[in-house]
Amino acid sequence: MKLKTLAIHGGFASDGSNGATAVLIYQTVSYAYKTAQELADIFDGKAGGYIYTRIANPTTSALEARLTELENGIGCIATSSGMAAIASVAMGLLKAGDEIIAASGIFGGTISLFVNTLSRFSIKTRFVDAAHTEKFAKAVNKRTKIMFVETIGNPRMDVPDIRAIAVIAHKANIPFVVDNTLTTPFLIRPGDYGADIVVHSTSKFMNGHGTAIGGAVIDTGNFNWAKGQFEDIRKLSKKAGRLSFLTHLRNLIYRDLGGCPAPMNSFLMLQGLETLPGRITTHCENASKLAQYLEKHPRISWVNYPGLTGSKFKERTAELFGGRGGGLLTFGLGDKQKAFRFIDSLKLAKNLANLGDAKTLVIHPASTIFHEFDVASREKMGVTEDMIRVSVGIEDFEDIKADFEQAIEKALR
Amino acid sequence: MKLIINGEQVDSKDNLTISTLLVEQKVKMPEMVSVELNGQFVRRPDFDTTVLKDGDRIEFLYFMGGGGCGTD
Repeated sequence: MKLKTLAIHGGFASDGSNGATAVLIYQTVSYAYKTAQELADIFDGKAGGYIYTRIANPTTSALEARLTELENGIGCIATSSGMAAIASVAMGLLKAGDEIIAASGIFGGTISLFVNTLSRFSIKTRFVDAAHTEKFAKAVNKRTKIMFVETIGNPRMDVPDIRAIAVIAHKANIPFVVDNTLTTPFLIRPGDYGADIVVHSTSKFMNGHGTAIGGAVIDTGNFNWAKGQFEDIRKLSKKAGRLSFLTHLRNLIYRDLGGCPAPMNSFLMLQGLETLPGRITTHCENASKLAQYLEKHPRISWVNYPGLTGSKFKERTAELFGGRGGGLLTFGLGDKQKAFRFIDSLKLAKNLANLGDAKTLVIHPASTIFHEFDVASREKMGVTEDMIRVSVGIEDFEDIKADFEQAIEKALR
Repeated sequence: MKLIINGEQVDSKDNLTISTLLVEQKVKMPEMVSVELNGQFVRRPDFDTTVLKDGDRIEFLYFMGGGGCGTD
């Protein structure tokens, strides 16, 4: 089946009992078995079956199956948030003394996890500029255990050369983790370019309506865990084969950390996925038009959108995403005061901390998502004081443009 | 033909696909099982078209937590 069809039918054929066409919401904590032996066999690993929703749930399983098919992976674990997905991967692969190499222009929450939280467990992160692929190779040492990038860095909007970084990671026998939240499988399947683990915040474009928080970890099947540096996963591969990493997460890390999604949220993600192909197309079209409009505007200081002709990532956007630059862009009006006045003047677009909603959203990253970092740190992450981040919605473009036009006029008055 | 399923030799009909094998072997929760054929992972979309031959080694894997793989 093609991707657009998988978005609707993947992971769920039909409800055998009553013919329901929507995935059923299993709003249950636990699962009863008739005999003590049945449940004992499931706990012992001799039989398949659901035990407890913190570990697995049928509604969430349908979401996991659909995401596996969309990313052409071998398996998926859905999590309570995108941060829970990244934290599960990090806790599952890293020990005290290990290191991460990560792109520097990525989501502030992920940077905080790496810098503030994981450092408490003696895990160090080396940040490198995603535009300079060779820096990933230079940062590798014997303690490196993960390489991490976002397909499009949020909010620096840089597009790393995933194919080349995968080669560098694999040469050092390091799994390459790619956050595909901003692009979704409809712009790129990172596994096709060598990524080993794909993570998502499903709260964004996949949910699409700002109604539920969620995340996902997908094993693309590219990494040979039987020959990896991770002793416990290597041992597990004798029993769990190619699924040893996900089994390690499910049966230990994810189980112990408790970052499972609510069944209702899994349902909302499944529903969101059905319309994602159409929505992401409109997001990209509207973002491209808005970027071009802002670029031509004589009083806008700068615009950053990887799909723009002037972007240094234009060619890579063509190669990796089929020329579509996603639904996110950033621009500047010269200083923070003007950025605030612009945001305060918007009538249609919402000022909030989210992206990928059907609605157009804006935020001033320096004073919100990145507020805990000092100015010098923010500069390194590509977050300038005048930056406004826009998640371009799927409203009629003329209405988005009119809203921006009047707000820019007021901001610069 | 003879197949090795989860390490045990099993007699089965000829020319089975993975999908038909799941039915023949009455595999529990077939929608949840992952399959390895001779050490290679078989993606679910290929279940209908992957035809088995005599001597193939098949592993049925679950990673549902407690199911199939245990907690080593």
